[in-house]
Amino acid sequence: MTRNVAIIGTSAIPVGRHQTADDAQLQVLEHEIMTRLVIEAVHDAGVEKKDIQSLVFTLPRPYTRQKYFHTFLMGQLRLACRGNVMEVMGNGMTAALAFDQACNDILLGRANVALALGINMESAVPAAEHMMSSMRTTGDVDFHTSAGFTPIAWYAMDAMRYMHEHGATREHLGSVAVKNRFHASLNPLAQYRKPVTLDEVVRQRPIVEPLGLYDVPPRGDGAACLVLASEDVARSLGRPYVLVRGRGFCHDGTHQISDVPNDMIAFESARQAAATAYEQAGVTAKDIDLAELYAPCTIVEVLVSEAVGLFERGHGAAAAFDGETRLGGRIPISTSGGLTSRGHPAYVTSLYNYVELAEQLRGRAGDRQVANARLGLATGELGNYNAALIHVLEAKR
Amino acid sequence: MTLEILRLDADRAYPPRESEFTKTFWSDLGQGRWRTTRCRACERQTFPPKPVCPHCWSAEVEWSDLGARGTLYSFTRIHAAPAVFAPEAPYACGIVDLDDGIRLACRLVEREDMPLAVGQAVEVMVLQYRDGPLFAARPCA
Repeated sequence: MTRNVAIIGTSAIPVGRHQTADDAQLQVLEHEIMTRLVIEAVHDAGVEKKDIQSLVFTLPRPYTRQKYFHTFLMGQLRLACRGNVMEVMGNGMTAALAFDQACNDILLGRANVALALGINMESAVPAAEHMMSSMRTTGDVDFHTSAGFTPIAWYAMDAMRYMHEHGATREHLGSVAVKNRFHASLNPLAQYRKPVTLDEVVRQRPIVEPLGLYDVPPRGDGAACLVLASEDVARSLGRPYVLVRGRGFCHDGTHQISDVPNDMIAFESARQAAATAYEQAGVTAKDIDLAELYAPCTIVEVLVSEAVGLFERGHGAAAAFDGETRLGGRIPISTSGGLTSRGHPAYVTSLYNYVELAEQLRGRAGDRQVANARLGLATGELGNYNAALIHVLEAKR
Repeated sequence: MTLEILRLDADRAYPPRESEFTKTFWSDLGQGRWRTTRCRACERQTFPPKPVCPHCWSAEVEWSDLGARGTLYSFTRIHAAPAVFAPEAPYACGIVDLDDGIRLACRLVEREDMPLAVGQAVEVMVLQYRDGPLFAARPCA
């Protein structure tokens, strides 16, 4: 019989500034945060310590002093298990891979209950210094980084191209930031919750033209834990749960840029991964009730929303401007506040996206609840969506 | 193809590494010579130069000339820069589609008389720093 995977419990700290400076008298220790989150998520799920047989961690940032954090935490929790204990890394896709790998352990029968969890601490490291590392993550370190490219510079070039091809304006893109901030105002886990106006967004200083401060992600720290289980376990608990209905992955065989000219803003990997996920779930884009997209910049949310079929090519920005992606709109996107306002502690960002979908699909999202939400879409990515990992989730009550 | 060389009284902020293989590219570039690798088996060029053809996986590659002219596919101006590039910020970077059919990303040199625009004709040039060259592109007629 086919096994299915369900999300049965979640926990997270609000995204924000948690990391302490090296010279601070009292330090915030990652494992103290993480152990509390594990207890909280397992309590939310209604399972017991002995049920957990696999743990998939996201790799901590290099600024985390404790190395081999995953096995260290096993000791902190005296958590013996026989499935898998590992840290995964895939740049921006790291947390999506952790979730996916935890699903795999359940599908393989190695565990009936598995955790996908992690912590990302970086906010005490100045941006210019942090960028010395992040500039080496996108493009070719010798042929691109030497020219001064940064990760979001590539998204900025997407924006410039999209505006050229489709006549979109700064206001169209900025409306995504306004909408996300409004959503974040309703989310206790969000980093920036004070609503902003479109005028404020387009008047911010440029970061990577044409994108300004509010079009790009803030830096922040975060930690989250998801409890996954076989559907049999989920059903036995007698509580609402979230079923993983479909999964799709695609790497387009390029890193950041294709030297064979292509349609760079088509995000072909997202289109293909979504097609696979929809097919597996037996649904189409039209059936999706809400989406938590991995979109570090306003333009990325627009491009992904088109690539996964929620909007036609070239219509995503105008649709966002017209309120179609806002709560109450045709297809609410980033009800958490998205990466621009909920926050983007990069290696755990997708965990927060699954937390949001789990809240929505279990009917627990409070003021930002999408009415009758049944199907949710989550995307993870790396590079300039050179690879995408996409899941379709379904509410089971 | 011979590229125009612009001499700069500074060192490169983040110099590329050179290998036994890529040193040919960088030393050629320093002379204004603009080349990449071409596969002898499938005859396709690739950029950056690679010792193995990414298309057919043949290791039989040779150096071949690239054209300098192309079109600006997209661009940005980077205001928030990593520490080593901060003194140069804001600076422009872009994606260029060479007329030869190769797409690449590089630093852009701005001209007052020809503002950067998607679709603008550009030409590849050499930025000759004290410690070595980088390739860049600038608008042209």
